[in-house]
Amino acid sequence: MAMNDKRGYRSGLVDLRAGEVSREIFVNEHIYAEEQERIFARAWLHVGHESQIPRPGDYFVSSMGEESVILCRDRTDKIHVFLNSCRHRGMKVCRYDQGSTPVFTCPYHGWSYGTDGRLVGVPYFREAYHSRLDKEKWGLVEVAQMHNYKGSIWATWDAAAPGFTEYLGDFTRYLDLQLDGWDGREGQAEVLGGIQKWLVPCNWKFPAENFSGDTYHNISHRSVDLAGIGPSGAGRRDMGERDVSRKLHVCIPDRGHQTIHYVLPAGQLPPPAYQNAPIVAEYFRHCEEEKRRRRGEEARLVGAPGEIFPNTALLSRQPRTMAVWHPRSAHQTECWRWFFVDREAPTEVKHFLRDYYIRYSGPAGMTEQDDMENWNYAHAASRGTIARRYPYNYDQGSGTAVTDYEYQGLRVPGEVIDLTETQSSEQPMRNFYRRWAEFMEADDWSRLATWRGSERKAAE
Amino acid sequence: MSAINVRELTPGTSIVLADGAEAEIVTNPGDGMWLFARYLSSPRDPTLVGQEEMIFAPDVVALRR
Amino acid sequence: MAEREARIDRLLLSQEIADFLYREAELLDERRYREWLDLLADDVRYWMPIRRNVKLGDDEGEFTRAQSDINWFDEGKDTLSRRVKQIETGIHWAEEPRSRLSHLVTNVQVQGAEPSFAAPQEVSVTSRFLIYRNRVETETDILVGRREDQLRRNGAGWLLARRKIILDQNVLLSKNLTFFI
Repeated sequence: MAMNDKRGYRSGLVDLRAGEVSREIFVNEHIYAEEQERIFARAWLHVGHESQIPRPGDYFVSSMGEESVILCRDRTDKIHVFLNSCRHRGMKVCRYDQGSTPVFTCPYHGWSYGTDGRLVGVPYFREAYHSRLDKEKWGLVEVAQMHNYKGSIWATWDAAAPGFTEYLGDFTRYLDLQLDGWDGREGQAEVLGGIQKWLVPCNWKFPAENFSGDTYHNISHRSVDLAGIGPSGAGRRDMGERDVSRKLHVCIPDRGHQTIHYVLPAGQLPPPAYQNAPIVAEYFRHCEEEKRRRRGEEARLVGAPGEIFPNTALLSRQPRTMAVWHPRSAHQTECWRWFFVDREAPTEVKHFLRDYYIRYSGPAGMTEQDDMENWNYAHAASRGTIARRYPYNYDQGSGTAVTDYEYQGLRVPGEVIDLTETQSSEQPMRNFYRRWAEFMEADDWSRLATWRGSERKAAE
Repeated sequence: MSAINVRELTPGTSIVLADGAEAEIVTNPGDGMWLFARYLSSPRDPTLVGQEEMIFAPDVVALRR
Repeated sequence: MAEREARIDRLLLSQEIADFLYREAELLDERRYREWLDLLADDVRYWMPIRRNVKLGDDEGEFTRAQSDINWFDEGKDTLSRRVKQIETGIHWAEEPRSRLSHLVTNVQVQGAEPSFAAPQEVSVTSRFLIYRNRVETETDILVGRREDQLRRNGAGWLLARRKIILDQNVLLSKNLTFFI
């Protein structure tokens, strides 16, 4: 019997050959501390959406890993992401959630920074510093890289990380489903006012793996299916396409991104939805036709829950939301959820969707409540000395993914398992934890950007 | 120590500074610590007149009506 | 004399409304959800905005807007009834085992009555709540805030026509809101 190891990460905790992952990676506080350095300081993280800061001077305070950051638009309309901490003594320079300002002034000693991050105000600069402080050097800490992808803002602290689209790899199309208009036009999404933020007593990887594509846990949502909160009053979603599409697990190996996904048969539009609300039904019918016209065969792709490594969840279909799982301790996660609608959708459509989103998602969401209960007590029951000796099982469908999946002329890149045949698989979780282990082991991006060279193939 | 809460001052207001200079508020960031103001006069350094600078709240000793 | 009668009308109404709120809280704490639903008007609006940290003076920005922004709750009787139905399935794991709840309702103040305190048909009332929720073994939440209610005369009794719930939290400190406030 293996003794529990009190040290941090070591090779073997993620054993995909055996289809096992040690409970240590969820509950071990040393591993949690290492994750902050090796994952959250290096990966691309989701910060917010440009529609939250429409005008110069607008800001939204967000979070990257444990760190508070400011997403803001400077006077010249350029978007920045800064560490929310004064360079002098560390005080938060902004403790409002959002607003508009010409400067961020530290309440402690009064250092003041422009919306471009430059240090502009230093009390007694002439008298006390003899005008010798190098203000250029002491501006707000800015992320190493920022990327505006169709309005969504992403950032990383690592200058050596590959660019965001390279980081996404073949997962781009799934993020597109989140951010493009329902009618297939690019980047038409807007964020509804109000970001839900709440604490869940579990490790951040529980929600991350759940949104990676845990189709196996459907059974835990029986109560909401019975209560019927779907847009048409039954079940929890209106998804007639489920009955006619191929349902897939799609994993992008080497990247750690994965999703559930539907592919409609060639030439077929999604079956009608939202039938109790004629204006809404008509809007989506119209959009589906437009999308088919604009995107052709690509319009056969229908989104579902997915996860961009490490901690951003997508849900591009119903309800259309993005979430970030902010680590707060090994045992606590702060969940943030953004809700999306088409910017130009009729008001009635926005209202209809919003009502549905609220009753589905978040702490008052009748679906998500049951998820959080599972994450909470799975975590709690895995902390004990004895419990930690027994790894979780991730063996479902091991070795059955294909890399040349095609359905009626549409090729789907990545490692794919056809759930229409198998009902369920754990390929997405294996993909997620394989990437997680790579991040924990690799010392730099030359070893993490495995797609650039042959390192990975050689290792296998 | 002046008892002026600079957060409440509106652009266009003329302020008197500790060194006797006068300035007109251009922008008030509302942080209660700083004002962006343009010098109207400056006995210490006449070259400042017309320039815009950030004024630290304790330096504001009076308002010019 | 007329002034004294007006004050008595006000006093009687205040007590009657407070009694209504206490009885409502008792139904929730005793898990008599169907009886609680009967106290809701068919067109009830149940709204709990998200609260933001904003600068002094930005009173509007502090709260998300009803029927336009994302809120914690913003719904009518149909959704509220489905929440009850979900709890009644016995397989709503976030409420199974069920929560132990105590709603403490206090600072009850009738703010207005239409058309009059003597013959009220619509009453607006504010109160403060402290909700203690305990679940499973040691799971404990305390939620404190204000309610702004609109009540409507229904025969000898009252119906809740509108409830605004102002929770004194920014990041929700509870993992869920499986209970009514």
